[in-house]
Amino acid sequence: MVDSTLTRQATQVGGTGEVMITLEGVEKWFDDFQALKGIDLLVGKRETVVVCGPSGSGKSTLIRCINRLEIHDRGRIVVDGTELSEDVRDIQEIRRETGMVFQSFNLFPHLTILENITLAPRHVRHKPKKAAGATAMELLERVRIPEQAHKYPGQLSGGQQQRAAIARTLAMEPKVILFDEPTSALDPEMIKEVLDTMTELAESGMTMICVTHEMGFARAVADRVVFMADGSVVEVNDPETLFTSPQEERTELFLSQIL
Amino acid sequence: MGADTETSTQPASTPPVDHTSPTTWLRENLFSNWWNSLLTLLILPLLGWTIWVAIQFVAVSAKWDIIVVNLTNLMVGDFPRDELWRLWVAMGMLAAAGGLLLGATSSAARNVAIATDRDTGAPWHDYARRMGPPVALLVVILAFVRTATPIMLLAVIVLTGLVAFRVGSAIPGSRRTYVNLAVVVGVAAALLVISGFGGVSRGSWGGLLVTAYFTIGSLLLAFPIGILVALGRRSTLPVVRWTCTIYVEFFRGAPLIALLFIGWLVLPFLFPPEWESITRVSRALIIFTLFTSAYVAEIVRGGLQSIPRGQWEAAQAVGLSPWKQTRLIILPQALRNVIPAMVGQAISLFKDTTLVLIIGLNDLLAVAQNVTQQPDFLGQGLIMETLIFISFIYWIISYWMSRESQRLEARLGVGTR
Repeated sequence: MVDSTLTRQATQVGGTGEVMITLEGVEKWFDDFQALKGIDLLVGKRETVVVCGPSGSGKSTLIRCINRLEIHDRGRIVVDGTELSEDVRDIQEIRRETGMVFQSFNLFPHLTILENITLAPRHVRHKPKKAAGATAMELLERVRIPEQAHKYPGQLSGGQQQRAAIARTLAMEPKVILFDEPTSALDPEMIKEVLDTMTELAESGMTMICVTHEMGFARAVADRVVFMADGSVVEVNDPETLFTSPQEERTELFLSQIL
Repeated sequence: MGADTETSTQPASTPPVDHTSPTTWLRENLFSNWWNSLLTLLILPLLGWTIWVAIQFVAVSAKWDIIVVNLTNLMVGDFPRDELWRLWVAMGMLAAAGGLLLGATSSAARNVAIATDRDTGAPWHDYARRMGPPVALLVVILAFVRTATPIMLLAVIVLTGLVAFRVGSAIPGSRRTYVNLAVVVGVAAALLVISGFGGVSRGSWGGLLVTAYFTIGSLLLAFPIGILVALGRRSTLPVVRWTCTIYVEFFRGAPLIALLFIGWLVLPFLFPPEWESITRVSRALIIFTLFTSAYVAEIVRGGLQSIPRGQWEAAQAVGLSPWKQTRLIILPQALRNVIPAMVGQAISLFKDTTLVLIIGLNDLLAVAQNVTQQPDFLGQGLIMETLIFISFIYWIISYWMSRESQRLEARLGVGTR
């Protein structure tokens, strides 16, 4: 009974109603430890999905499987019609279309911010240097740090670095962006500037999956919130319902601990 | 008046200034207790005496004639004297290539410094200090020159290098490819001038020339080979991984002297008999290259391991191919991290080249030994003079390398992310 409701909620896509990402029975094992226990989830085009849950619940593993930073062991993952397989071309195709923003930014420290952003467009999309540079400057305007273009990542604050990382991701014109706890490594006063950027992105219609503990962000921006625990999806619902009247005991417990 | 005192705002606190008078310093560091004082009183005279003896020997009792007479031998060994012009021309070309490269590199570094708001203009005494070791080397060598021609030629070469440096720093960064091309052409042309067109085969090179050839040649060859082997050791293909591991372990495990002997005796059999011309110098170069690339591979592997996993992940996530992940993201950072170890390897190789004495090659150390057997100097015990002279050459060049590596480290910000 509960299961079928869950399945319905997990597969009822938001956004435009067209499916962007399909996860079907995705399992992931680290040796004897099962990190993902059969995840079913559909994400619609232009939809923002927030994934939350206690640490070790498999949230990060889940989104890292989508761009093949982790290799899932069973099940299917389809991104915009391309299924992840052993074929390197499929993997590269999906990585080109899927951006990722990391908890620890992972900007390339030996390159300037501008070079960080133009690198992939130039070497993966084979854009000419000038065009890539112009796009990069537009993106830096968009994340509001154009004056940092010629500095190195080490000279920027955490919030600026994360916004630069978002600009780097956007430069590839991805169809989906995966956020892996983008504000967890930031000082409190810098969280807002990153969340503002993410909100602006979501409003512009980007398809996003965000692993985050920022419940304010989830409530304001998410179309659906996925609650995970112990490698399974426990509950999926629109933020209002999930936060105010959670259906599951585990969700309630988790929310009572963090809110 | 009252208003005046109010507006003259003093900073609330100033950084502490360390005022230590020489007397205090002496008392604190050399005479802090009776035991320390005793040590100071014992060691100071000993130190003074040693320095006195050294100066006495170098300035008074040493017979430097042997260096004056044999300076050409020490520099180039048995290189035919009629063909020396080839070396001068080649040195000019190398000075031009080196100047161009350094000029372009330093202007690129300056642009980076400007971009990162770091101190851009080094004060003049900074440059002077940097030039110390090479100038000292030139001065010491020139001190033994008794004719005007070499001094004039050296002056021309130094001037060529300086002009090339100016030109190199004036060339914009976008033209960097041409600079690199010019440098490669310059080095190739220099080698061609020496040994091409009826020139001098490497078999009769000697002295500092052959020492430099071994050091620079095997470093240039070992660097790319070492990087490939290091990458090979991380390959997912077991065959590649094992081949590279065996290569590294073999060349690191065997003594260099044994390898040089093997190279001397065995290498000729590996090549077709028509290749008889593979000289002993080339054989030694091959061995030095194989040996050094094993060490370079291990150094680079350490550098690769120092790169956090997040860098690989970010490179994958933006869609770079595996080769581009390595070439554009991982290697530049890894190589930067291992500059100190790499320079250490270069210094060690520079000094290890003296081992070719064992297989009868005429390198700097061999010449220093052989010239004491000349009829004019036989039995006068002049080995001290020649050894001091070449030790100074080895030391000042090694010191120069280590100083420059420290500068490079600071410049590239190793250890700061």
